[in-house]
Amino acid sequence: MFSRQVTVLVGHFGSGKTEIALNGALDLAARGERVTLADLDVVKPYFRARSARFILAEAGVDLIAPEGENVYADLPIIVPRVRDVLRRPQGKVILDVGGDGTGARVLGSITDVLPKTGMNVLVVVNFSRPSTPDPAGAVAMVREIERVSRVRVTGLISNTHMLEETTPEIVVSGAEQAVRAGNELGLPVVASAVHQDMASSVNGALPCSIFVLNRIVKPPFEVQPQRRTMGPLFVLN
Amino acid sequence: MAKKLMKGAEAIGEAAVQAGCHLFFGYPITPQNEIPEYLSSRMPQVGGAFVQAESEVASINMLYGAAGAGERVMTSSSSPGISLMAEGISYCAGAELPVVIVNIMRAGPGLGGILPSQADYFQTTKGMAHGDFRLLALAPWSIQEAADLVQDAFDLADYYRNPVMVVGDGLIGQMMEPVEFYEDRQPIKELPPKTWASTGWKRDRPKAIINSLFLDPAELERHNFHLKEKYDLMERDEVRFATYGAVDSADVVIIAYGTVARVCLSAIEALEQEGIKVAMVRPITLWPFPYKAVREVASKAKDILVVELSTGQMIEDVRLALHRPRPIHFHCRLGGMLVSPEEVIDKVKAIKAGTSEEVQHA
Repeated sequence: MFSRQVTVLVGHFGSGKTEIALNGALDLAARGERVTLADLDVVKPYFRARSARFILAEAGVDLIAPEGENVYADLPIIVPRVRDVLRRPQGKVILDVGGDGTGARVLGSITDVLPKTGMNVLVVVNFSRPSTPDPAGAVAMVREIERVSRVRVTGLISNTHMLEETTPEIVVSGAEQAVRAGNELGLPVVASAVHQDMASSVNGALPCSIFVLNRIVKPPFEVQPQRRTMGPLFVLN
Repeated sequence: MAKKLMKGAEAIGEAAVQAGCHLFFGYPITPQNEIPEYLSSRMPQVGGAFVQAESEVASINMLYGAAGAGERVMTSSSSPGISLMAEGISYCAGAELPVVIVNIMRAGPGLGGILPSQADYFQTTKGMAHGDFRLLALAPWSIQEAADLVQDAFDLADYYRNPVMVVGDGLIGQMMEPVEFYEDRQPIKELPPKTWASTGWKRDRPKAIINSLFLDPAELERHNFHLKEKYDLMERDEVRFATYGAVDSADVVIIAYGTVARVCLSAIEALEQEGIKVAMVRPITLWPFPYKAVREVASKAKDILVVELSTGQMIEDVRLALHRPRPIHFHCRLGGMLVSPEEVIDKVKAIKAGTSEEVQHA
């Protein structure tokens, strides 16, 4: 899923881009790869990748995000360093972009430095979310994102879940709907993101490969003490 | 309807639509912008109207007009924006208008910050604005409960002809959980037709005039006593709370509301594993406050612990509930910092060990 040098994660608001970006960055770092994660989220004020800066720092992931007081700001800040990293990428680069067309607009401002080859632009889809209730909704979302960002989408990531209430049926049905949306768009479903507790019960039933997730983005009442994070991602200490 | 995975703001917006609210007037402020955002696209789908007003003052006065015409209407804001609406909320109470106001609290005072807080407890329960009025205030701890309470809020507002506030910390606006809406939901109150509404006079009834100005002191006194009767009924009939944890006797009793109560529940479950028994009362209505429930549950333990995202605003109500001085302990985080389960665990253990300092009574 993160095979290319640059992976751009886009998709509708609340589809799980930040969770997948954090998991992807930590997985790559654990395998010894050099990783840069850019938090380009200008849409949501909480639960942004920057709140996981301690976890990322400990894993050796280079985080590009607003600093100082601006970590917490609800302002559309694009840190200029992202342009340098995209011009001369070293190791893998993951861009965590804000939700919907509104969030994807950010990409339009950096199209001049996005690589012509070696880049995947992946739309994360969760069919449990009200904005994409069915494949037609996902198709509309992909077209909206392409129109606003002026970047071509190269694939879909299926991420249909219901948090604690997720069942194998929800995951498999979501992946099947993603394939239907992909067929209409002529795009592959590169993976289905599945929580580690459910991976064994859906493996084999999925119409695509599997990307196993640890849940990192959590409200404070669900957090284990050892996770040190900032902002109401998760917990503050 | 099948369950959906919704952000709190989306669920609050959808709950309003499901409750038959077709009018929303508001002004942006973090961390509740996704409520107006959702309704800006949802209202046209149901033939309703969404207006981004020029200010919070304008928004609340648009609610006054729409409610006066008998329509279900809602606004949402966050702490500084609610302060700006305060005058209009008092006018709605004075003119007996059913309006629903959502406050997704952020840290203050002043502009403060955009992260979660519960520092508007006094404002919500005691001092929203001028004049002798009360605000029925509902405080959800989950996204499903936020959706349910918003729908109830419309019924309560109509029944009492009074403003009702749904009050949550920033997490209630921003976090995501599965939510279900029930198509066969019935109003929680018997609601008579709004014959008092100003819908155009056709000489078939007395004129319906929406007004909060009473120059004759005898008339205003009568009006104030009439309002007081409604508030007495709310105190008698609308108290809501939930209790958790130890049933018979407990080492410590926790009082907490909103998402903080969920942090406390995580702590209570962990403490139970270690053989430490903790009970909790979670006020769901902040006003009317569940004084009786707090008193009864507090009698199970020697020590009481209040946990809040404020410097201890709810302690006053807990003291009133207890009737006589009792050891009260307090834990808080401020400024948008959040209480963690292990902080609550440590505090309970400190209380048991006698190393936690009590809150001093004046």
